[in-house]
Amino acid sequence: MENSLLVGLSRQVSLGRELEAVANNIANLNTTGFKADGTLFEEYMMPLARENAFAGSDRRVSFVRDRATWHDLSPGPLMQTGNPLDVAVGGNNFLVVQTPAGERYTRNGAFQIGPTGELVTSDGDKVLGDGGPIQFQSTDNKVHIAEDGTVSVREGANSNVDTPRGKLRVVSFANPSALQKDGSSRFLTTPNNQPQAATQVHVTQGALEKSNVKAVVEMTRMIEITRTYTQVAGILQQQSDLRRSSIEKLAEVPA
Amino acid sequence: MRALQTAATGMMAQELNVEVISNNIANMRTTGYKRQRAEFQDLLYEQLSRVGTQTSQSGTILPAGIELGSGVKTAGTPRIMTQGSLLPTSNTFDVAIRGEGMFQVLLPDGRTAYTRDGSFSLDAQGRIVTAQGYVVQPGLTIPQNATSTTISPQGQVQVTLPNSNTTTQVGQLPLTLFVNKAGLQAIGDNLYLETPASGPPQNGTPALEGFGDLQQGNLEQANVEAVSEISDLIGAQRAYEMNAKVITAADQMLQATSSLSR
Repeated sequence: MENSLLVGLSRQVSLGRELEAVANNIANLNTTGFKADGTLFEEYMMPLARENAFAGSDRRVSFVRDRATWHDLSPGPLMQTGNPLDVAVGGNNFLVVQTPAGERYTRNGAFQIGPTGELVTSDGDKVLGDGGPIQFQSTDNKVHIAEDGTVSVREGANSNVDTPRGKLRVVSFANPSALQKDGSSRFLTTPNNQPQAATQVHVTQGALEKSNVKAVVEMTRMIEITRTYTQVAGILQQQSDLRRSSIEKLAEVPA
Repeated sequence: MRALQTAATGMMAQELNVEVISNNIANMRTTGYKRQRAEFQDLLYEQLSRVGTQTSQSGTILPAGIELGSGVKTAGTPRIMTQGSLLPTSNTFDVAIRGEGMFQVLLPDGRTAYTRDGSFSLDAQGRIVTAQGYVVQPGLTIPQNATSTTISPQGQVQVTLPNSNTTTQVGQLPLTLFVNKAGLQAIGDNLYLETPASGPPQNGTPALEGFGDLQQGNLEQANVEAVSEISDLIGAQRAYEMNAKVITAADQMLQATSSLSR
């Protein structure tokens, strides 16, 4: 009798979680380098139904539970900004930033120049090149970032030679789906999934990778969640009514 | 239900985005204005089941965990310091900077501010001042009887005096560079102040070593592009609406639950 209530409840809890994932995706519709999250559910079979002593076959009760969230790592659309310090990376590659908590990986290339002349993220974390942070001099201008990630500048206004200032470290992962989100458009990795230097590097200067959240898909997911939730609530309501009427009828004490 | 708060952070972020965009559009015709852009980042994630944890004695691990995000935050509103287009005005004291650098302006309280707005004029004493009347450093005075004034690309201010066919140099307009010009603090009136993030000011001569040159009779227009601002505005408005829809959805789900217990 309680099973239908609990099965319904397990669905409602998982739908609540799914809506949280959808809400986070929609909240990050305009976040540079954001990767959408999806949810995975699985069937949880109750080990043994309790009333298995009845004649005839009894079916095991199955519940639903949320098993995982996964990151949709497909590339987002490129937006041209014309800002020389905006960088977009192609493929499934990541840029490396140095945070106080260690190396983090990001696809958000909205960089700036820090007070001491390093290339930094909008959080002030240093962007790492092949040989450490990328350091600019005060007279540097016309920053050019080549397709392979090489950062070069003109030293002084009258210079017409490109002086290299380092090369952006672009990495890839053997198992990118095992990356964890760290907030602030950053990812962190696990010890058994170490970054390797990317083989096919494609860096675009003057463009940013927008969020890869597909608004229409998220909207339809949201409608589906609300409708399912309401339907499950309806089933629970019917069960409750059924129980109430059975209590009223069976336990009716004649006056 | 956390979806309510998550969607609320999304709505607040888009509200800020619209504020930034509207300020850019309002300053489309402001001389020397540099547009801003709202930068967003995702908030912390709650790890309900951590990826890579062991799922059995034989060492199998969880290939994907459960991470639930909690919304979006504004990382900053950096200023995009690209060159604006030059508008010829043929006014003697309109000066545009072509390239890097900023003019120094002495504020009434003694501090030095920096600007790219070169719409200067003369005050009663003949000093070169900004539109607010603040003295442009180093405080050059143009003689009352000067018949014409020339500002060279290198910043030399030369005047022609009556009954003379040669020019006299009055002084030199310097320019200032910052390592991180996006880190300057805007105080309105097209003026910026030095901050710890911008780095210390470096003064120098126009058209030399990394400095831009001066263009007399021109003004630098705002670097706001109407088309991209409008498309950003549409994007922000739609994102706001969608976040509002999420709140409605979460509300409906809560309503379905609460109607159970009647």
